[in-house]
Amino acid sequence: MENMRQKKKWAMFIDATKCVGCHACRIACQNQNAITPKEYYNRIEEQEFGKYPDYNRRFFPVQCQHCDNPPCVTVCPTGASYKRDDGVVLVDIDRCIGCKYCILSCPYEARIVNEEHGYVHKCRFCIEFVESGESPACMTTCPTGVRVFGDLNDPQSEISKIVTTKKPEKFRKDLNTDPSIFYKKV
Amino acid sequence: MNHKGITRRTFLKAAGGAATALSASGVFGFEEWKKKSYASAIEKIPTQCQGCCANRCGIYAYVKNGRIWKIEGNPKAHNNVGSVCPRGHGYIHELYDPDRIKQPLKRTENGTFTPVSWEQAFREITMKLNLLIMDHGPQSLFWLQYPLANAPLVFRFMHALGSPNTISHGTTCFVARNGAFKMTSGGLPDNDLKNSKYIIIIGRNPCGGIKLYQMKDLVEAKEKGAKIVVVDPRHNETAAIADEWLSIKPGTDLAFLLSMLNVIINEELYDLEFIENYTVGFDNLLDEIIMYPPEWAEKVCDIPKEKIYRIARELASHAPTALIHRGYHGAYGAGYINSFQTARAVAIVNAVIGNYERSGGLFMPYKAKLGSLQEGGHPAPGIPTAPKADGAGIPGRYPVASYSNGISHAVPELALAGELKAGFIYHTNPVRTNPNPKRVIAGYKKLDLLVTIDCVISETAALSDYILPESFYLERDDSVDTVHGGKKAQITLVQKVLDPMHDTKPLFEIIKGLSTGLGVSRFFNFTQDEYNQLKLNPLGISLTDLKREGVIETGEEWKEGFKPCKTPSKKIEIFSDRLEAWGIAPLPRWREPLVSPDPDDATSFRLLHGKQSVHTNAMTANIPILMEMSRHYNMIRLWMNRERGERLDLKDGDLVIVESDIGRGEIAVKLTEGLHPSAVWLPSGYGVFSKYLHTAKNIGLSYNDFVPTYFDPIVGHAMTSEVIVRVKKV
Repeated sequence: MENMRQKKKWAMFIDATKCVGCHACRIACQNQNAITPKEYYNRIEEQEFGKYPDYNRRFFPVQCQHCDNPPCVTVCPTGASYKRDDGVVLVDIDRCIGCKYCILSCPYEARIVNEEHGYVHKCRFCIEFVESGESPACMTTCPTGVRVFGDLNDPQSEISKIVTTKKPEKFRKDLNTDPSIFYKKV
Repeated sequence: MNHKGITRRTFLKAAGGAATALSASGVFGFEEWKKKSYASAIEKIPTQCQGCCANRCGIYAYVKNGRIWKIEGNPKAHNNVGSVCPRGHGYIHELYDPDRIKQPLKRTENGTFTPVSWEQAFREITMKLNLLIMDHGPQSLFWLQYPLANAPLVFRFMHALGSPNTISHGTTCFVARNGAFKMTSGGLPDNDLKNSKYIIIIGRNPCGGIKLYQMKDLVEAKEKGAKIVVVDPRHNETAAIADEWLSIKPGTDLAFLLSMLNVIINEELYDLEFIENYTVGFDNLLDEIIMYPPEWAEKVCDIPKEKIYRIARELASHAPTALIHRGYHGAYGAGYINSFQTARAVAIVNAVIGNYERSGGLFMPYKAKLGSLQEGGHPAPGIPTAPKADGAGIPGRYPVASYSNGISHAVPELALAGELKAGFIYHTNPVRTNPNPKRVIAGYKKLDLLVTIDCVISETAALSDYILPESFYLERDDSVDTVHGGKKAQITLVQKVLDPMHDTKPLFEIIKGLSTGLGVSRFFNFTQDEYNQLKLNPLGISLTDLKREGVIETGEEWKEGFKPCKTPSKKIEIFSDRLEAWGIAPLPRWREPLVSPDPDDATSFRLLHGKQSVHTNAMTANIPILMEMSRHYNMIRLWMNRERGERLDLKDGDLVIVESDIGRGEIAVKLTEGLHPSAVWLPSGYGVFSKYLHTAKNIGLSYNDFVPTYFDPIVGHAMTSEVIVRVKKV
């Protein structure tokens, strides 16, 4: 398993120009992870442009960016937040003391507190599911194909091709968090 | 949803085996959790999403530890091609809703409900019904339903009793569009969006009133270079991926279309060969269309003439791989006095550019021809001789209304007039989906017997004498379904994923139970499986195969090339002799909406409504995970053009009073640049007032609280956008 993991570098491409804000991704994720209605791992931000009638809006899906330089991991006092070799940032909920430093440090507001038990949780790239050969629930349910998920270390993967050819952006690149999520924005 | 114990970490598939355990649950020890998780077998069962809208998407239901875990889309299913919408994901939680009806209920004298056995419910209902039929005839009985795969069984039941009054919710939804296409091209075509190069969508929002395959196809077409134009008073969610949004004045889509025809005809941009071969009445159109130049239309519909010229030319230049979307509810489904003729104009613009049965244009979707019960030795009951009480399909009354849809919002009037005495309501809720609930309640209360079949106690169920709980779609087997028809016919079905949690029955068993006491059980002398196999026989498909696959394609693939229309001329009828004979305009002619806001009154607006992606009508508001979306994203607001709002001294989020001639309510306002100034827009799906729906009750407003009761004279639709409201700051 360790060897297998070292070979992977999971990443996601989000084409925000295709998003219509239907929110199927959020509820698919909530079902997949069996979390409560109020707790969610992804969200859609709506952006508006212009004045009537020259007006437009865009929808912008946001979730844990699985940063290669993750501030949440740096600030975690117990080591509960950690980065795997395959790029996935996770929380070990047994080690989490619910101090919420990570929530304050995350510029993407991607982390939430479990109301019942107080630990912090967030998007996990559906990693166990992915390791059994499936894809994240937010991606497979999306009717407009906003998300592409895959292994950046595999040059033949769709995600590698997109990252090479489309030169997608990273969200808040200025923060030097180096996310594993790539965006095509407006 | 089970939020306790191991379901907090439910990723491991027993079958996967090699999955990595990452961390322990905070509740269970890691070893205990791992053991339980590995031990929990996961079953993946193909079925059909059913009950939260009409799409009936092909899905896989995942069952873990005896509970539903999640659903995924079946990639083969035409309507959803592997996706599931937010409503579908949310609707599975209805299974565990504490508000579900757990056994048959009977109304008591003080208005509460008391549980009764199925035997008692069937006995008492059929006794009363037999007496009513004896006194008033079977035509005094109606069945109102949201039509699902079992609809043919309902018609069989009603026909066996001798009643023609099986009705759908259609007059509050889509009948003007369906009637117009039926009169023009003989049926409702589908849009070949995927292969189209130029797509105009008028008053339809497949990204909000969700149609998953259309969302997918629109994005694919766009990636291949297609241009998408959205015409809608509101910047709807489809407009967000369109190239152009035209904020048309509500109720004037017909003027826009007539003017497009004017340009296409004046500039000879039409497909003459197609017109000569496959249409009738084009010459008649030539005489009239000169009245509608873009110079006229821009004053009517608030779209600059330059844009109308350009879009008409662009559409025609891309023909036949260009189309005007067939639409649905918004602009011409059931909204206005001119909706039927607006939809006729949509059909005609598509015809003059010659896109019928062309790739990238419109085509008649293929449906499987199922076998009949008759072939299995089960004769069909005769068609009742009594006319439909609502006048649907009857010349002199509502000639274009269809037999199978009827006129749902006429039921209260017919009940008050004493023509209808008893009714069944199946998985619909007229008290909330029909205009003017006070009138609807008064009508339904007048009935001598009202029986509702549903999963929860809706406003209508709460008025009923008996409530019969149907098993949830994940708990029942249903009939073979042909709803997934596209370029190839598909068959699908709902099959049982879990045993019923409560003392509920599938509709088939309920009909059987009723038929015994009503003396028509000989028409239901078969099982659901036998019925389904008889339907499948001509296709050479076994029920076992269908249950294993969930979706099976059948028949030949659609090919380009005109096919004879189901019209008297077998062609597309631009000019309609039938309409002329009924005294209806045989060509679409401009007609103003019935009512318009007062331009001199700053508080006067047209009230529009529409769907948000997370709700369907009033069916999903009680699902906590969906209502939480509405709350989180602040969706339960009345949209208003920012400038109009500021003139009323309103700020975003302010509470306003909305008043029409028949209703009044309070709601927060959303000021936006994305709405025509003459209208306010209310999302549908809220305003639930049944005290039995604990999540949804008293949240938001329903447009039906403000809409007066109208019947369009041609199709009978409810004209639900013909309503003016006054909006003031609280």
